[in-house]
Amino acid sequence: MHDMSKIIGIDLGTTNSEAAYIEAGKPVVIKSVEGQPYFPSVVAFTKTGEMLVGEAAKRQAVTNTEGTVQRIKRKMGTSEKVTLRGKTYTPQQISAFILQKIKKDAEDFLGEKITDAVITVPAYFNDDQRQATKDAGAIAGFNVKRIINEPTAAALAYGLDKEGDQKIAVYDFGGGTLDVTIMEVGGGVFEVLSTSGDTQLGGSDMDKALVDYIAEEFKKQHGVDLRKEPKTLQRVLEAAETAKIELSSTLQTDINLPYIYVVTGEPKHLEIKLTRAKLEEIISPIVQRSEKPCRQALQDAKLKPEDIDHVVLVGGVTRMQMVAKKVEEIFKQKPKREVDPMECVAIGAAIQAGVLSGAIDKDIVLLDVTPLTLSIETLGGVATPLIDRNTTVPTRKSKVFSTAADNQTSVEINVLQGERPMAADNKSLGRFHLDGILPAPRGLPQIEVSFDIDVNGIMNVSAKDLGTGKEQSIHITGSTKLSDSEIERMQKEAKEHEEEDKKRKEKIEIRNVADALVHTTEKTLVELKDKFTSDDKEALEKALKELREALTGDDTDKIKEKTDALTQAFQKASTAIYQQAAQQHQQQQGAGAAQGDAWQGHPSDDDSTINADYKVKGEKKKKKDHEEE
Amino acid sequence: MSTKKISDPKKQTHETSQNKIKKLEDDIRQLKVELNEKNDKYLRTLADFQNYQKRIEKELIAQKEDIKKKYLLELLDQIELLKKAYDDPDPKPGLKLLLENMDKFLKKEGITYIECKGKPFDYQLHNAVSTVEQSECVDGTVIDEIKKGYFMGEKLLRPSHVIVAKKKP
Repeated sequence: MHDMSKIIGIDLGTTNSEAAYIEAGKPVVIKSVEGQPYFPSVVAFTKTGEMLVGEAAKRQAVTNTEGTVQRIKRKMGTSEKVTLRGKTYTPQQISAFILQKIKKDAEDFLGEKITDAVITVPAYFNDDQRQATKDAGAIAGFNVKRIINEPTAAALAYGLDKEGDQKIAVYDFGGGTLDVTIMEVGGGVFEVLSTSGDTQLGGSDMDKALVDYIAEEFKKQHGVDLRKEPKTLQRVLEAAETAKIELSSTLQTDINLPYIYVVTGEPKHLEIKLTRAKLEEIISPIVQRSEKPCRQALQDAKLKPEDIDHVVLVGGVTRMQMVAKKVEEIFKQKPKREVDPMECVAIGAAIQAGVLSGAIDKDIVLLDVTPLTLSIETLGGVATPLIDRNTTVPTRKSKVFSTAADNQTSVEINVLQGERPMAADNKSLGRFHLDGILPAPRGLPQIEVSFDIDVNGIMNVSAKDLGTGKEQSIHITGSTKLSDSEIERMQKEAKEHEEEDKKRKEKIEIRNVADALVHTTEKTLVELKDKFTSDDKEALEKALKELREALTGDDTDKIKEKTDALTQAFQKASTAIYQQAAQQHQQQQGAGAAQGDAWQGHPSDDDSTINADYKVKGEKKKKKDHEEE
Repeated sequence: MSTKKISDPKKQTHETSQNKIKKLEDDIRQLKVELNEKNDKYLRTLADFQNYQKRIEKELIAQKEDIKKKYLLELLDQIELLKKAYDDPDPKPGLKLLLENMDKFLKKEGITYIECKGKPFDYQLHNAVSTVEQSECVDGTVIDEIKKGYFMGEKLLRPSHVIVAKKKP
């Protein structure tokens, strides 16, 4: 089944719905036209008969209670109907309105027509409820390819179907309900062993408890109940939500609501310190209530906590540390929470959809990546990267390098693997020479080094003298095949030595810059000996001598200081020459313009040129090169 | 063709099939070469695309940071001035200038305030927090503003949070 049209995955939720699809093997969450990664599961008809779905319907809900319907999911599969503004609708029809909105927004988002979908339902949904969901999809214009269980989708989002026979617990704590499911997976097939939950328990209970606490504290101080007025209640509610999120990462937060209330002409401010411990105390009764359904699910599945291989967290509430801790305590293991718990189910549905549409084809899409950075050794033993770590192969990268000494006729290409900035600390995969470079001043020859890794991880490294066309190359096998322990060790080493490596590299770079400057100065002194004033020339020679002396030693600060001194002397001297030239230029126009053109063609103008063998060309030197000409 | 067949049909058939096989083998060889080339090209394009995705991801993070920087710097300036105003025994004139500056900044960014009080409730611009029953009112009119709403250019930045009147039956 390799139908190339896209199939989207939809988590049709009680309060919010989400949708996702697979792009180049990766799940992407679809945003609503309003710009949010979810769709409120709310449908409304206004007085004028206009239908609203999603965010707009939610905004007007309190003003239009008789024309708005929420939480229709709870009525799916029943014969109950809802009447809105005199017209009667089945739960399937209402759900279809939500799915239609998702379909339309997804088409906007993707820029193409969407007809196929995978929709999720709770594991405890019976046949009638599943059929009703499927019907809702059909009414909305979807070709429903499959109905899958929400916990199954969550497990798919974590790729748990690929790990052999497993027992999985999914703890789904949303805004309004708690669902606990225990499943067994084997050979890619999921079987639900038990389900349990609490339909009257959710994140909104926590918000209410927190608002109550804040309002009571304020009442104690000022004698006013902030919950009585919608205006103040709204601000407290928002502050409570913010505090809850902040306390997921910090231990204490301040809730400050200035000018919250005016008592007999005097403005009152709400100032409460809330610690994580206090928050946990407030929500603890709610979190405790989630334990019973977990135990029940285990008992029904006839399993002990130790029998469970993986626990997956779903739903916004599970972002709270305390909830995750509680789950860990019940199941005696760290639960999985790397995938966004709000998007987890939609992502899993999208993965299922991707498998059905062929968007996920294990044989082709799973391309290898380079586990470590691939570089070549350049001047001073520095490792200059060509292909970064984690690049998908097959790939080809090239860079132009140059020589480090005058009349250098051969360069050595040392191919390295690893994250350390210095060549010696990385693993050498192979080395070869490129000979026959025509004698030329350093920095002039252009040698293009290319790394080409094919799909099997075989790397071809070639070096080509762009001047003569001469080329040399080697094959290196297994550049992407390293054992996990080897990769881990090399990455760990890189981390450990980060600071020290950085210093060493800096030191070499300073030396390289100084070295290049000495070279340029020497050359310039010879070439332009008649143009410098005798004072400038003397100053240059003195500074040059001092820098040379500094380079014989190992004092980096001193090298840097002398480099700066020589640079200044150089600038002063060249400014004088330029002024002289400008005067001449005014007298005989044209010559100066030709000078300007000449730089453009100079190969060292190419920023990608790095001296192999090996020099990172200093910016300063480049400038000087121009100035000389 | 038919006359040749009569002269030596067996040999002829044999030769023709030999030729056919050779031609087909050549075709297969060529197709294999082409397939390999195409497959390599396909895989490289796919890898390029995946690398492009990775690069875009990195760039998006960098871009987010840049945008954050821009607004944080603006915010920091205002906070520093607010602190000075806080220490000022007569802060009003300073605060007035400060607010004017902030308004100017918002104007520059295309932020405009959404009028709501006394207007009919509009779900596209307003978010109803609650309703209040009144006997003397026009049903569905915004009677109070809890939080101001704004446009960002043509787009809704945040809807006004409002209280809506409900006529007592």
